[in-house]
Amino acid sequence: MSAEATLTGGCQCGAVRYRAAKAVQYVICHCRMCQKSFGNYFAPLVVVEGLEWTRGEPGFFRSSNMARRGFCRDCGTPLCYLGEDGGYEVSAGSLDDPSFGEPEKQINVGAKLPVYDRLPDIPHHTNLQGEAAFNASVVTYQHPDHDTADWPLPKGGHDE
Amino acid sequence: MSEVLTGGCQCGAVRFATKLVGRGSICHCRMCQKAFGSFFGPLVTSHDGHWTRGEPKWFRSSDHARRAFCGECGTPLAYETKFGLELAIGAFDHPEKVPPVIQVNLNDKVPFFDGLTSLPVKDDVDDEWTSFLAGVHSNQHPDHDTEIWPEPEKEK
Repeated sequence: MSAEATLTGGCQCGAVRYRAAKAVQYVICHCRMCQKSFGNYFAPLVVVEGLEWTRGEPGFFRSSNMARRGFCRDCGTPLCYLGEDGGYEVSAGSLDDPSFGEPEKQINVGAKLPVYDRLPDIPHHTNLQGEAAFNASVVTYQHPDHDTADWPLPKGGHDE
Repeated sequence: MSEVLTGGCQCGAVRFATKLVGRGSICHCRMCQKAFGSFFGPLVTSHDGHWTRGEPKWFRSSDHARRAFCGECGTPLAYETKFGLELAIGAFDHPEKVPPVIQVNLNDKVPFFDGLTSLPVKDDVDDEWTSFLAGVHSNQHPDHDTEIWPEPEKEK
């Protein structure tokens, strides 16, 4: 893990952006609270130091007496886990480059879903031409994977 | 399959139900990564999905799609296009009931994806960790429908 690299990231719509000075650890958490919070099989979390919000601020849900979870109020992206000690762990997928390093270990494996161990074996989609054609037709409203001086918020807008 | 499958967000403000589910998938595209804050989005087609408590907020992530999430706690809940609704598998009360059968958009797959299953496991369960877990009082909605939420005794 290139721990000294400056890490930037943010939500899908771009309303919330952050920068961290240092990555300390990169883990996969299997606990049911992380699963639910991320709507997924696990949460990939990067323990960071020196986190600052460089655009906007997340909303927080107090998921337990031990933690709060930050998300974008405008688009929902899970952004961070904030412990009672003030330590931040950012969601790896919200980083501009989730592949800046590699996850080091799995934690809370007691709650691991059986599907996890067969993820790499799930068959691949084969209609690559159709997939490429659909993707080429999409006009994305997602914030780019780098800081921007200005960003119309939210570019996509909401359907209430 | 005619079993009613339920799910919802972490805080319990939004709940859903569905009976008619289609194919579960793992989508590696960068938009799913960002929307889920993760390496991929796990989604299952739902032909009759409906909200049974509250309503999600929607973000129009592209001209083709919008994504639902809980406005109170942020949980990613759904992806919708003209082809229909897909629900976030991790938001189901029992994610194991909607297994993914295909991976899509592999061009954006994170390079270490295939190695995730062989990552070391933290098994050094020390006293500090054990006492931390023992002291956790979760505010997460349980993995089943509830008549009243939050539970009265949990309200401050």
